[in-house]
Amino acid sequence: MTLQQGAPGLPYIVQSFDLPLGLARRLQSLGMTPGSQVRILRKKNQGAMVVKFRGSRFALGRAISSHITVKEVARHGS
Amino acid sequence: MAAEAAPCLSIGFVGNPNCGKTTLFNAYTGANLKVANWPGVTVEKKEGRFQSHDHEYRLVDLPGAYSLTSYTMEEQVTRQFILSDEVDVILDVADASALERNLYLTLQLIELGKPVILALNMMDIVEKRGMEIDTHRLPEMLGIPVIPVSARRKTGLDILMHAAAHHKGKGEAMPLIHHHHSSESLSPLQDTSSTRHRHQHHKEFAMVYSDAVEDKIDLLIEELEKRYPQLPNPRWHALKLLENDPEITKAYPVDRPDILDRSYEADIINQKYDFIAEVIDEVLVNKERKAALTDKADALLTHQVWGLPIFLLIMALVFFFTFTVGDWLKGYFQLGLDFFSGAVLSGLEFLQVAPPLVSLLVDGIIAGVGGILTFLPNIVILFLALAFLEDSGYMARVAYIMDGVMGKLGLSGRSFIPMVLGFGCTVPAIMASRALESKRDRYKTMLITPFMSCSARLPIYVLFSQLFFSQYAMLAAYSMYLLGLVVAVLCALVMHLLDRSPDKAEHLTGSALLIEMPEYKAPSAHTIFIYVWEKVKDYLTKAGTTIFVASILMWFLLNFGPGGYTHDMSQTFGSLLGQGIVPFFAPIGLGFWQIVVALIAGISAKEVVVSSCAVLFSVSNVNAPAGMAALSQALGAIGFGPLNAYALMTFSLLYVPCAATLATIRKETDSWAWTGLTALFQIAVAWGVTFLVYNIGMSIL
Repeated sequence: MTLQQGAPGLPYIVQSFDLPLGLARRLQSLGMTPGSQVRILRKKNQGAMVVKFRGSRFALGRAISSHITVKEVARHGS
Repeated sequence: MAAEAAPCLSIGFVGNPNCGKTTLFNAYTGANLKVANWPGVTVEKKEGRFQSHDHEYRLVDLPGAYSLTSYTMEEQVTRQFILSDEVDVILDVADASALERNLYLTLQLIELGKPVILALNMMDIVEKRGMEIDTHRLPEMLGIPVIPVSARRKTGLDILMHAAAHHKGKGEAMPLIHHHHSSESLSPLQDTSSTRHRHQHHKEFAMVYSDAVEDKIDLLIEELEKRYPQLPNPRWHALKLLENDPEITKAYPVDRPDILDRSYEADIINQKYDFIAEVIDEVLVNKERKAALTDKADALLTHQVWGLPIFLLIMALVFFFTFTVGDWLKGYFQLGLDFFSGAVLSGLEFLQVAPPLVSLLVDGIIAGVGGILTFLPNIVILFLALAFLEDSGYMARVAYIMDGVMGKLGLSGRSFIPMVLGFGCTVPAIMASRALESKRDRYKTMLITPFMSCSARLPIYVLFSQLFFSQYAMLAAYSMYLLGLVVAVLCALVMHLLDRSPDKAEHLTGSALLIEMPEYKAPSAHTIFIYVWEKVKDYLTKAGTTIFVASILMWFLLNFGPGGYTHDMSQTFGSLLGQGIVPFFAPIGLGFWQIVVALIAGISAKEVVVSSCAVLFSVSNVNAPAGMAALSQALGAIGFGPLNAYALMTFSLLYVPCAATLATIRKETDSWAWTGLTALFQIAVAWGVTFLVYNIGMSIL
């Protein structure tokens, strides 16, 4: 699934990027690396979302969030 | 320069965006800044001097950066400056309330091998949230001095500078104490106690990577030392090679594909964050914090439905304050100017100064420059409001709120920030577009931002709407702001619809917004004061230089003709020049040579349209009731009515931005062709829209 399809309030694990190289590298240097955890804080129906990773919030546009592959975190009450 | 007793210490302030770096910098330097551009780029460089305990410090505020890669202009500037020999000590400012993200930059700075000091800012917020940071353990783990400060409350400032002075010249000389032998180490990567690697690096470096990476670093260092024996800090260069850093890879090729079999960037980043997690785990006490205020505020301010109306309400409030409160204060300025102008006039007449000189001083300089100064209160209030929005952290939310709307125009929500800033001044707004992700977005934003009505156009609206629309004056002025926004949006939309370039496909799925949403904070009074003071200083400088010169030039053009000094304005150079261009302006209701001259002069700075009118019609205080009556009468005499006034306001709003804006566009795009195109585009739009407004108005009236 893509991050765009995720639900607000839930954490996900980043798996891969399907983005222009420069953008993918920028996201990684901000700490969104494969294997890291991202939590969706809020999200507009068709548009941007606010996510939290490595302790800070970022707004991500749809063109970015729909090109990040994630998987759900096996939940044990984090 | 004064003789310096002690050698001057250069300190570079580095930190993430929103970490309070500028507030801390201002706390030392006050408003005594030297603002310049970095050579070759137009990122603003701020420099200040500061003295304490016989030490002289040169403080340089570097652009905010999350990391030292070279993907953004800000990061490149910061990295190049630190790597140069210009800086003695790096002062890393970290937001203690977001330590995890901030430490990432810290680790990169430490790896550069220069003396680094960590200033833990916003410790007051950390305490308020019921958290504690072990400031004894943190320096042990990082190997650098850590000083808690609060830039807002100005605590810890002296100790910080003291530490910087004494840390000069010391690389990583502090003892590193890590407990990597502990069996409950967080990640297997970090557990290098039973290392296969041939060196034990934990005593040397704060950041030690996995064996696989460390092995490669060793091989690369050997290779680098062989090829580039003079290279300082080969470890850092080795890391950059492993990260596939474009700049370093090009400058120091090693041609060893066996070592550099792939990019290790993700590994290096992950391992850094793993180490940070370990640090946080040890130094951050009481992590179970109360729900941050920011989340509660965001629930309302970035609400799916209410976010946009709230934003519009805030902007309406901003303009309400700008106009009503500003107009009230302005009254006092006018009284002062009237008195001054009268005193100078009678003084000069008493001294029997030659009439042309009296005319130059009173009708030229005082009328032109003084008239502009009376608008200062409106401008101060507008910038105060914008500073408040920026410093509180709300501006980033605006990008999120507007992302949907801007997406329909083929832009990201972030493009809206320059547009909002454009209400203040177009020059910094154009510079702010630098933060945009794609070049297309940047150019588009630069093209439409000048349509946002900046504060320099405000005097034109205030004057002409009060002259011609009496009780509807406010409405007429507001309509200009709206018109500017509508034109900007329409232009963006048309460009988006016409755009057939291949990379549009990338944008079709939506916007590529990427922006940090910092914690909300109470804006710092000192930071806001300095922000507004800089703008006021700019405005006063402009009044004293551009407007001053333009006023003298105008006076000359309007008092001299082929026959020399004359009282008959129709025989002057100004008149002859204006009349030549009148046919171009006639279809849009501006076919008056006086107005044409004022508009041309207005390219130097838009306020000059007002100061020129003052000079044109010899009105000494245009913004006061008596001056307005005189101007109104003079304009009425040439057949200039309300519709012409509205056409003038519209054209002034939209036509070529001021010289300073054009110069900024030139610098940002590095292209004269593009700058010329922008200017032509804006004249065309201004002419077209004014034509519509005037002719629709004619058919209605």
